[in-house]
Amino acid sequence: MNEQVNLQRIQRQAGLCLRRVSKSFGSVEVIRDVDLDIEGGEFVVFVGPSGCGKSTLLRLIAGLEEVTSGDVLIAGKDVTEEDPSDRGIAMVFQTYALYPHMTVAQNMGFGLKVAGRSKTEVEEKVGQAADVLQLNDYLDRRPGQLSGGQRQRVAIGRAIVRDPDVFLFDEPLSNLDAELRVDMRIEIARLHQKLGNTMIYVTHDQTEAMTLADKIVVLRAGRIEQVGSPSTLYDDPDNMFVGGFIGSPKMNFMDGVMRQNGVEVAGVILQTRPITNRPADGTPVHVGIRPEHWRLAEEGKTAVPFKVGFSEFLGGASYLYGTIGEKSCTVNVEREAISERGSVLNLMADADHICLFDQNERRIR
Amino acid sequence: MNAVTFSDQAMAASAAPTQRKGRLRYHTLIFHATSVLVALLFLAPLVWVVLSSFRSPAESTQPPIPPWPMDGFSISSYDRLENFGQSVLHYSGNSLFVAVGTSMLTIVVSLLAGYGFSRYRFPLKGLAFVLILSTMMIPFQSILTPLFLLLAKMGLQNTLIGLVFIYTTLQLPFSVFMMRNAFDAVPKEIEEAARMDGVKGWRMLVQVMGPLVLPGVVTVGLFAFLNAWNEFLAALVLLTDQSKFTLPVLMTAVQHGRYGSVDWGAVQAGVTLMMIPCMILFLILQRSYIRGLTAGAVK
Repeated sequence: MNEQVNLQRIQRQAGLCLRRVSKSFGSVEVIRDVDLDIEGGEFVVFVGPSGCGKSTLLRLIAGLEEVTSGDVLIAGKDVTEEDPSDRGIAMVFQTYALYPHMTVAQNMGFGLKVAGRSKTEVEEKVGQAADVLQLNDYLDRRPGQLSGGQRQRVAIGRAIVRDPDVFLFDEPLSNLDAELRVDMRIEIARLHQKLGNTMIYVTHDQTEAMTLADKIVVLRAGRIEQVGSPSTLYDDPDNMFVGGFIGSPKMNFMDGVMRQNGVEVAGVILQTRPITNRPADGTPVHVGIRPEHWRLAEEGKTAVPFKVGFSEFLGGASYLYGTIGEKSCTVNVEREAISERGSVLNLMADADHICLFDQNERRIR
Repeated sequence: MNAVTFSDQAMAASAAPTQRKGRLRYHTLIFHATSVLVALLFLAPLVWVVLSSFRSPAESTQPPIPPWPMDGFSISSYDRLENFGQSVLHYSGNSLFVAVGTSMLTIVVSLLAGYGFSRYRFPLKGLAFVLILSTMMIPFQSILTPLFLLLAKMGLQNTLIGLVFIYTTLQLPFSVFMMRNAFDAVPKEIEEAARMDGVKGWRMLVQVMGPLVLPGVVTVGLFAFLNAWNEFLAALVLLTDQSKFTLPVLMTAVQHGRYGSVDWGAVQAGVTLMMIPCMILFLILQRSYIRGLTAGAVK
């Protein structure tokens, strides 16, 4: 049995390749020269601010938009000119996009029916998908009689029934309320584990991105800024945009100057980890430190003065918002360290967690 | 002090809930009175027609007040209608052919046109749409003569098919507008999902989009049917052969009694008969006419 499952997995692990893909709407270039390799079975998440082209990129993969230039390969086959239904993909839409005049079973089986499969086969496949998604009790209902979460499950079921090489999700959870979103997120993760297919998922919610992804693709203005595992992107961002976009609250950026034994921030020298392409002393740089990488300095040691503005107590974590020098800064502290407005705390950061960026916002490594 | 009063009230409440009789609201009263009045205004002519169609021949030439039959119900008006020319059934058949033909043709053309205007991009799309709409502003009576000449050239004068074409032409601007709006209301994602499922071409229109724009189709068909069923002037001008007459034209033929008198009884009977199919059709279709099927498609 296990062998069978494994075999199935290997067969299904179809990768995806984008080669120099561009897309323009009239004179507006939405996707610019994107190269991307996705391995079979990977869960890839596209994130970026709104308007960055992440949904367009997904639609290009789906075939709902035509690429202006470049190639799209799925499972090693060039599908750039193929119809969406011939690409071996299935898509789940943000608005579910169920057929309102069909029952749940008909919705899920419609693709197979169109493909001319026998009635028994359609019923069998729909039944299997309904088992996986616990939709058995709702097969005779219409979408209008279902809750938001159930509708989204039907939409996912419709995708599963097609037995695709690649699943595409276009912000599937953004129409759900917060609690349901967490449940569905876990369900999608479980589904990925169970089916083992390649999945591509678009979201602007970085919690979804961090928790679901094997690989995150950060996009800005139609370009890929960085591709990597959640932890790589978090610990080792390529530029200030990725550093600021991944992580909540955001990474703090301060102005610094290169000095012989480190980087000077607000008049204090901070140690950094060894840098290969070290700029000359006196070069101005941006210093990025995450809120949780600050800690209270020991008494008597040199430290960066942090002026407290206000505090947030979130139960598990506490955040202080304030300023270092002129720049605003957020610090994650122990509950005991919550201080009054206007008080000054002495902070220190570890060399390992300090990221330096040049004036072009590129990472200095 | 206040606290004591409050707890007293609370106790009283738990003992027995205060009885509420529902306040008499004057505006609801006025609202209902007005509604009844308006309904009566609309119903009065219909009731008048139905009642006076049952008057006896002698009575039907009398002044119309009171409208109901004074010396017993009589169906002689219906007899005279039945005996005029060929049977009334024959003329109803003519009318039915024209009305059904018009609504079918209108539905097919406006469905395709509406789909095209809603979903496809083509040059001068906006201009074409405005042009189609602007024809609604031309009173068709003013182009009746050219229409007649056109039909004559095509050899379609004095045919029911010719009449169907004329009515469909007149019906189309409104219908295309209706259908475009109906298609616009269907979310694009549903069509995209269908493309994912491998649906193409006709199948998209019939199996996916069709059911979603059904209320629009029903509306368009109903309007076309009613307008074609009731249309008089074009039918009068274009039909010369008595056996081709539709019901409204039949009414004018029937009303000529002896010595130039008007046979009101037969006219009232004809009008009563003409109303029946319209009412049946409307009652059957009003549900899908009103219902919006897209509910539940998206959040």
